[in-house]
Amino acid sequence: MKLAALVRELEKILGREAVLWRPNDVMLYEYDGLSSLRPPDVVVFPRNTLDVVRIVKFAAQHKLLVVPRGAGTGLSGGSVPWQGGILIGFARMKEIVEIDLENQRARVQPGVVNLDLSVAVSDAGYYYAPDPSSQKACTLGGNVAENAGGPHTLLHGVTTNHVLGLEIVLPSGEVIHTGGKSLDRPGYDFTGLFVGSEGTLGIVTEITVRLMRKAEAVATLLAVYDRIVDATRTVAAITARGITPAALEMIDGFTLRAIEEATHAGYPMDSAAVLLIEIEGLKEAVEENSQHIESVCQENQVRQVRRAKSAEERELFWKGRKNAFGALGRISPSYYVQDGVIPRTRLPEMLEFIGQMEIKYAVKIGNIFHAGDGNLHPIILFDRRDENQSKRVREAAAEILSRCIDMGGSITGEHGVGIEKINLMPYLFSADDLDMMRKIKEVFNPEGRFNPGKVLPTSKMCGELRAEASVGGIL
Amino acid sequence: MTVAADSAQMALAAILGESQVVSEPAACAAWAVGGKIPKYGVEPPTAECVAAILKVAADHDLAVVPRGNGTQLDLGSPPSRYDLSVSLRKLNRVRHYEPADLTIGVEAGMKLGELQDFLGRDGLWLPLDPRGGATATIGGILATNSAGPLRLRFGSARDMVLGIKVATTEGKLIKSGGRVVKNVAGYDLSKLFVGSFGTLGLIVEASFKLFPRPASRATWVLEPGTLGRARDLRGRILNSPLEPLRMVLLDSGATGLFRQRTHPGDEPELWIEAGGSPKILERHAKDLAEIGQSMGVASHQMDEPAEQQLWDQLINFERSLAAVHSEVMVMKAALPIACSEQFLSLARQAAEGDGVNIAGIAQPGVGIVHLGVWGEKLGEVAAPLVTNARKSAESLGGALVVEQYPAGFEGERDVWGAPGDLLHSMRGLKAVWDPRGILSPGRFVGGI
Repeated sequence: MKLAALVRELEKILGREAVLWRPNDVMLYEYDGLSSLRPPDVVVFPRNTLDVVRIVKFAAQHKLLVVPRGAGTGLSGGSVPWQGGILIGFARMKEIVEIDLENQRARVQPGVVNLDLSVAVSDAGYYYAPDPSSQKACTLGGNVAENAGGPHTLLHGVTTNHVLGLEIVLPSGEVIHTGGKSLDRPGYDFTGLFVGSEGTLGIVTEITVRLMRKAEAVATLLAVYDRIVDATRTVAAITARGITPAALEMIDGFTLRAIEEATHAGYPMDSAAVLLIEIEGLKEAVEENSQHIESVCQENQVRQVRRAKSAEERELFWKGRKNAFGALGRISPSYYVQDGVIPRTRLPEMLEFIGQMEIKYAVKIGNIFHAGDGNLHPIILFDRRDENQSKRVREAAAEILSRCIDMGGSITGEHGVGIEKINLMPYLFSADDLDMMRKIKEVFNPEGRFNPGKVLPTSKMCGELRAEASVGGIL
Repeated sequence: MTVAADSAQMALAAILGESQVVSEPAACAAWAVGGKIPKYGVEPPTAECVAAILKVAADHDLAVVPRGNGTQLDLGSPPSRYDLSVSLRKLNRVRHYEPADLTIGVEAGMKLGELQDFLGRDGLWLPLDPRGGATATIGGILATNSAGPLRLRFGSARDMVLGIKVATTEGKLIKSGGRVVKNVAGYDLSKLFVGSFGTLGLIVEASFKLFPRPASRATWVLEPGTLGRARDLRGRILNSPLEPLRMVLLDSGATGLFRQRTHPGDEPELWIEAGGSPKILERHAKDLAEIGQSMGVASHQMDEPAEQQLWDQLINFERSLAAVHSEVMVMKAALPIACSEQFLSLARQAAEGDGVNIAGIAQPGVGIVHLGVWGEKLGEVAAPLVTNARKSAESLGGALVVEQYPAGFEGERDVWGAPGDLLHSMRGLKAVWDPRGILSPGRFVGGI
């Protein structure tokens, strides 16, 4: 279909103000937090489920590719339309449809920003638990697609543990409803299958989520270390003691200095690492656990444990953590964030290994991550324009991830496979495992027109990307 | 027919050895499901054997119903056909265990009680209290997503599974997820398999995240007098800072059943269990007393010796009912959480109108309600009662399944209710995993 005809038809369906097609306009949709590849042919902005159905049916009729996009904050290329086609932007589907506090549920359109939901129910004493670092910008639809995590998912679980129902438009245009406000809907758990399927099975048009009551008490500790290994040992010891903090984050000295210069969060500039530890629950439990944790820190040669004395100080501690990527962006032209997962007890040796990789490949790697659940975010700093450097980054990244796999871990804890890690899937899964996943995809998305070239390596994948998209290959 | 049966038996024997393929009718009768008796029964010793057996079953068109310890087999529709019982009892090993990481991987045939004993040495547990309690197997719990009142605090098995390994009808072993606590690589097949009632493949192994066992536990009983006041009370507790482990509401029928000996009353009771240090338990005691007082409701702590026994009886609702009444029907409704009390009272009205007795147990913090019904007229009114109760549940935004029909029920069974707009997709998935329809045929929603 010619672009002019495509635009004309879509404008007929949605109105002129809901379709973008000029090169300067669609160019803004060729990237996410990982990289930019190529723009979609057109971008459309539905206002409701019916609009989405119309777009999808039109695409089905003309065999067009469809890629959904929330805020484009993803880090694995999940919303990048690298083969062109129609990009469905959810910027206009951002209504909180219902807040039902009595049943501890909310129904939202996929374009609702993560933090906006928590803000909307905050006065009533509730919040939505999964809190990706991009929560000020990222959408709940994107969170569902990638099964997003965040610092506070250590205690409460990730997106899949908080999404209870979905309205989904399948590539045929058929609309299905999974789960709902109540648990245990009879039938296969399609909600669980669709969360984290990265838009490759269907497009979510409404989400039912669990709202949680805010805890009575919160303690936020900043533990300061002179040696990284003491910080990682503390993490392993806290887990081994059976204490589950709400969040347990680690920031290494290099990264915290970059953060401190950018955000003035009050992190000590001369330390080797800090742990940001949050404990929440009943007052009594918070007191007990804080004391336990402090003594674990002391046993592991902590220099100092600071406890936030006010909500403002707590905010400040977190501000540094949540703005870390931006802070590193200030000091490096490009950076590549990884998302490997390892058993928590292996953190000390993994951090040592990452240190070795820095030397071996002559690259700078910052470490800031969800230590409590072993989800690493090594950030490799480089200059994209320098091909030799980019190559070393790719090699270092590959070696770190294969080490994660060797340790019994995973290549992604919360950022998704997307385009970025698609060729690593065979290292984690057997040909038979992948074959079953492909067959599942074919049930819902038989022509592969929904978000093509994501999650699963396929035989149809075009050659140039296959060669390129090894770890971080599209950097 | 005989020839086909013989060749199937020979193929099974080729995997397990002749003596390991049981075909004596008397032995097979012990594996009956929904009144159907299989022709053969096997107990494969390894996951690889399970896969090989499923391949043989597919090649010979043998309908398979998997079995652990039989605690969940009443659930679901009776199989439409049933040739081969595959017991996973021998798959009962720990595959990996990292106590300091709070993770474990076990085979599907391991009993929950064995697992808890194993974990108890390190002060850990898998916080599940399903139907069948300690005797339920991991595979059975996962296949049915069976969960008890601990769900209030910890979620169900669905939320604790890190990864699974399943045997397929192609004779392969497929894995999904892994053994680390956070993982989004690939589709989450664990979710698809949990609660799929053995219709897609056989779960042979699963990894879980573990939790520290509470240092001590205590249960308080509050007597709100009416279901309406129980609703207010529940609302206040859920809106308080308290973090109970379990909370159940027994209606007057259930208190009559469970509390006969210790307690003469027949009014609703709310049981709340908390866990943790003495200070945390004290706090629960104090706050619950205050919440109760604010509504004129007395609270008292349950006597320790009776406490765990009462919880166990409650979790094994069906068994407890069957011990007293010869013919019972059990239904389970899943509702928006604020509707539990209203549903209990609607169900009671309907049962009394039909001239049968009813006992209801709600988990009002998660919206799950179990109803037990008995009485002389049960056979007659069972079918319309299910229809009405389901209508009530659906009108409140929930769903209802029948967990147990009365023994010898002759009428038309509707265990699951209508599948909504998902049947087409469900059939599509079923066709991928089990193209010949040999796995637990007819057991699941929509006749799958």
